[in-house]
Amino acid sequence: MGKYLSLAGISVKNALVYRANVTGRIIFYFVFIFVFFSLWRMVYSGNEIAGYNLTQMVWYVCMTELVLFCSGAGIFGVMNHEVKSGAIAYELLRPWNYIYKQFAGTLGNMTFSASVFTLMAIVLGMIFVGPLPGFNAAAIPFIIVSFMLSITMNFFFLMSLGLLAFYFEENSPFYFIYQKLLFVFGMLIPIEFLPLWAQGILRYLPFSLITWGPAKMVVDFSFGYAIQIIPLQVIWCIAAVSLAHFVFSRGVRKLNVHGG
Amino acid sequence: MFTEVKKHIRLILKYFSFNLSALAEYRTSFLVQVFGMALNNASFAFFWWVLFDKLGGGIGGYGFKDVMFLWAVSSTGFGLAHIFFANMNSISGMIMTGELDTYLLQPKNPLINSIAARMSATAWGDLLYGIILMILLNASGMMWLMFSISIFTAALLITSIAVVGHSLTFYFGNMDMVGRTLWEFTITFSIYPETIFKGPVKALIMTALPIGFITHIPLRLVYNFSWGTLILLFGVAGIYALLAFGLFMLGLRRYESGNLIITRM
Repeated sequence: MGKYLSLAGISVKNALVYRANVTGRIIFYFVFIFVFFSLWRMVYSGNEIAGYNLTQMVWYVCMTELVLFCSGAGIFGVMNHEVKSGAIAYELLRPWNYIYKQFAGTLGNMTFSASVFTLMAIVLGMIFVGPLPGFNAAAIPFIIVSFMLSITMNFFFLMSLGLLAFYFEENSPFYFIYQKLLFVFGMLIPIEFLPLWAQGILRYLPFSLITWGPAKMVVDFSFGYAIQIIPLQVIWCIAAVSLAHFVFSRGVRKLNVHGG
Repeated sequence: MFTEVKKHIRLILKYFSFNLSALAEYRTSFLVQVFGMALNNASFAFFWWVLFDKLGGGIGGYGFKDVMFLWAVSSTGFGLAHIFFANMNSISGMIMTGELDTYLLQPKNPLINSIAARMSATAWGDLLYGIILMILLNASGMMWLMFSISIFTAALLITSIAVVGHSLTFYFGNMDMVGRTLWEFTITFSIYPETIFKGPVKALIMTALPIGFITHIPLRLVYNFSWGTLILLFGVAGIYALLAFGLFMLGLRRYESGNLIITRM
């Protein structure tokens, strides 16, 4: 466990060193939220749409973006590169589990991003639309758990997609499709905007549980909702970790490295 | 002057055919990237379709077709810019590492030579997406006419804004992030209705950072055509391109070569 914690510590230091990168992401986060705030401000005229008012909608986007900015999305590229370049061969000789090593190596960065972007999300939400009416502080522990599960689930799905490089010469279509499913089924708009039949299915799928799951918990919390969503997130999280193990353990047998 | 322009157009076309044949070597990867990017853009069309369907009306005077026109122009304009000048976002890096030396040694303008040296594979997806969108929209003759004109002004403006941002590296040290952020701004602001932006943001995108001229002014021309506005569109694109060119060339005087040894294959 100690070695994984050390890796997480190094990853925090790396995040702090590459300040320009962090600043760029902060600016991008701000611009994205600003544009969506401008859009929703124009769309709403005091009414509710699909059960969301303007304040909820702006906070919703702040939260879905928060998940994506903290999920260590770069892991797909890292996996892709390590497998295709053969660099993974060196990692296999080291005394750690490769999957967890990658997770620990990104964990520090994700924790750092979570601190920065949570602050950004709260500040921007407050500036643009003010506090969420009826927000219950008792919801905070549930929200934190839900966010952690979302970020972990997304990380391991992305890792699995990156590890598909063992099997496919070109694995980026899987990444493109996955990313777009997240976009359209929860990130840009809540699933309540979609037809009822689609909502019924999407409530149980990981794409919506990653973005819509925790964001809805922030803007419209109820214990009933938390009890329904968190177990589903746990199940999908276990599925994502298992998938990464499966893809890795099967894929590594196919590995052929020539030269150095 | 005209001979110089002709020579540089020939250079751009040479780079184009060379880069395209390089991409064609890895055909599957190229096609995957093209369709991946088209799919990426299509996800936003889905978003707008759901939104307009839910609202049952327009957003700030824009209908679904209008927003898709913004997407078509920005996507194809962006595609054109990154097919011909994909190195625009590497200018800061080239200045910082001394990689620009290579282009200074060659008898062609270093700005044109350096930014035209690379082609983006995904840009073909953007280019095609805009055209497909226009076909699917069943666009009017006027929309097609403005689309055909504004994709070129859009490409020129997108490239010029990125060059302006990155050229600041000559003056103030590494401005890679500024260049990339300006580039991100350009894309983000051009794909949403003009009417959602107000006050200083609107003023900014219609003046110092003429992002509004990429898609918003062409859409205005579709509905309210005037020769004055069309000339203004060409004027702004031309002046901004000259500004970018001037800023780069003046900055070049401050450039200090590095000792980097590279091989161009």
